[in-house]
Formats: sequence, C-alpha cells, structure tokens
Amino acid sequence: MERKNFLKSLVIGAASASAIIACKKDGVSNTDTSTGTTTTTTGGATTTNGCTVAPDETEGPFPTHTPASYVRSDIRDDRTGYKLTAKLTVVNHNNNCNALSGLLVDIWHCDAAGNYSEYGGTTMQSTNYTSVHFLRGRQTTDSTGTVTFTTIFPGWYSGRATHIHVHIYSASGTSLKVTQIAFPEGANTALVAVNGYSKGMSGYTYNKSDGIFSDDTAGIEIATVTGNTTDGFALSINLAVNA
Amino acid sequence: MNKRIITLCYRKIIRPNAALPWDKMVHGDSYMEFKMQAQNFSAGTPYTSYAQLLQHFPNAQKLTGMVTPSVTGYVQQLGGILPEILNTLGRRFLRIRSFQFEIINSDINDRDKHVVAINFFSEPLIWHDTINNYLLVSSHNTETPNDEDAEALTELFQLQPYLNIHSVASPQPLSKGEGL
Repeated sequence: MERKNFLKSLVIGAASASAIIACKKDGVSNTDTSTGTTTTTTGGATTTNGCTVAPDETEGPFPTHTPASYVRSDIRDDRTGYKLTAKLTVVNHNNNCNALSGLLVDIWHCDAAGNYSEYGGTTMQSTNYTSVHFLRGRQTTDSTGTVTFTTIFPGWYSGRATHIHVHIYSASGTSLKVTQIAFPEGANTALVAVNGYSKGMSGYTYNKSDGIFSDDTAGIEIATVTGNTTDGFALSINLAVNA
Repeated sequence: MNKRIITLCYRKIIRPNAALPWDKMVHGDSYMEFKMQAQNFSAGTPYTSYAQLLQHFPNAQKLTGMVTPSVTGYVQQLGGILPEILNTLGRRFLRIRSFQFEIINSDINDRDKHVVAINFFSEPLIWHDTINNYLLVSSHNTETPNDEDAEALTELFQLQPYLNIHSVASPQPLSKGEGL
C-alpha cells in the first residue's frame, strides 16, 4: 500500500525535520521546545505556536463542535438484514443497580454474512463518512441509563456464537466495561427464526461451546430478544458497571 | 517547460497549544477518541503512551483508523478548500481531494502529549512553471483535453514547509492531428 509507506516516511522524516525559512514582517519564528523544531508563518498563512495570521479575505470557515461520526442511533448504513432494535440499560453495581446517565456506550457487531466493517474513511468525495464503519455506533445513556440502536440481527462466523460487542465509558472517556451480548437459543427464539441468514446453522458455535459465553452459566450475558422476521426484533439487556 | 500534472500534500500538525478554534476542536475531540479507543489495547497493561502501545501491540496501528471518525466532521467543515495555503493575492485556492489523519504522539493519561497531523491531498493541478520558489499551477480538468493554445486561469503560490508535491504525472503530448 503506497499511502502507508508514504505516511511511514513522513513519520520518519518528522523526527528530524527542521523547517526554517526567512520571516516576513508579519511572520513570527518560534522554537517549539518539545521537538526542537522551528516553525514560521509563510505566505500569510497560519502556523503552530499560537502565531496566527489571517488570510486577506472574508473570514471563515467557522468551525462548530462536531461529534465523532460514530455517534448515531441507526448504525445500519448499507447493510441488509432483519431489523433489530437494541435497548441497552446501564446500571451501577456499586449503588443498588440505579441507572447511570451520561455514559458513552459503543456497540459493534458483524453483518448478516459475518463480516465486520473496517475502520477507514480517508476520502473526501463521499459526504457520508459513516459508511466506512457500518454496524458500529455510539450513544450517551439517558436519564434512565438507556441507549437505543437501530441495527440488523447479527450474522455469525466460525468459532463464535452470535454476539454484539459493547464498550461502556464514563463521560470523560474512561473505560468502565468491555463486554459482549449473547442471544437466547432454542425453540421459538430469534436465532432459530433468522437461521443464520443464507449461511444456515451448520457448524454454528452455541453459547455453551463459545469461548466467551461458556462460563456464563447464569445467563447474565444473554439478552431478551422478541419479535419476528416480518416486523423485526427487539433486544433488551441490563448491563451493570462499577461506577 | 513541459506541463506536468501534480497533486500536493499539506501536512497540518496540531499540537496541544493550538490557538485556532478549528485546531482546538480537532485536538480535543481526537484526544478524547484516542483515549477511548486506546484503552482497548492498554487494558491490563502498564502502557499508556501511543509509542508504547505500538511497540507492544502491532495491532495498535489500527488506532489511526479508529480515531479518524472524530475529525472527519471538521474536515468536512472546511468545504473542500485548504485554509493554510494561499496564493500570492492572499486567497485560499487549494481544493482538497482527500485527507489522512495521523497520530504523532499521545498518552491516555496526558492530553499535553497529544500531537496529531492531518495530511490533506489536493485535487490534481497542472504545473505550468516555476518562478523563484513559487509554482504556477492551474486546476486540471480531466474532461477537456488541455489545448496548447487555450488560456488557463492560474494560481501562483509559494513553496513552504509541510507542503510536498505528492505525485507527478506527465501527460502524453497530443500527436499531430489528434484533438482537432
């Protein structure tokens, strides 16, 4: 991948880069003590070290605070499958399981074929940057400690039972819990109704054989899932964290 | 001189002491996202810096891509024009085609260690001439062949630090009778 090599070379170059050019009268030269490099303004543009020179034209653009593009409730993008509305409620294990509001909850899972989205997004052409991380999303818990995502029922891949990844953070971004949500199995369950999409269920790993869920004999990682393939499914689960 | 088609790369480095609102937001939001995502690698280890994570977990290379969504919204707000590079009239002119986010240094516990860069790649330009350390360019329109006699609207801008000619191509000269 040439881009990668290009970036690598940038990083190597950065270690020894020292940019010094003559200052115009509106330019200021500063030495950055952390790197020892000297940066200056050039051509009337802005540079680092708090030295700001405005271009000679109408002001703008005016930046506004923009959340990461992970922040969204509908995480389907272009992925097709049976609709799944997932409600996760976060409660405080250290405080009588009272709801925790204002926490950040990330979820991600595979598509109907069992594939995860890659992280990416370097193109400016498309205005919808979110399509580079399908089936990944972030929400902040409301006053009842709940976040809701619109997604599809996950597919499966070899060696794992159907699951959804969850990472819960404090409002300041400190990790509180990394966990996974398992699905109920047996007659009349969503798992049977979906039947592994086009893969079927041949070679499927059930919860009791799953490397992550097999020790969960009490079933606390298993969500409640209702619904059908026509109207879609609804998932709900309570997740306890120590906060 | 022989006309060549070039793309430029401008590497905008954003440090903790950034003063401009856009830079501050990019710094703050990318730091928050770095902190969040890096904990996927650092959990249960004593490591907190980006360099340590890369050293001990090759997979931590993914952090660049994981943190990128925190800045894409800000890049979109630029409206496709790079603010830093001005022509000799003091106007912005350089159209951005794509960007690549880069983590230079960071630490889960120290916001002041967080230094990132955004590499902006320009739309293709025709490089007509060089005057001292200024380049004379015009936008490269791929739909209309560049007729030797046609007048092109050009931009004159200065070569400067952190601005690189990222790619160069020499279009085939028209053979006689072609394009008439």
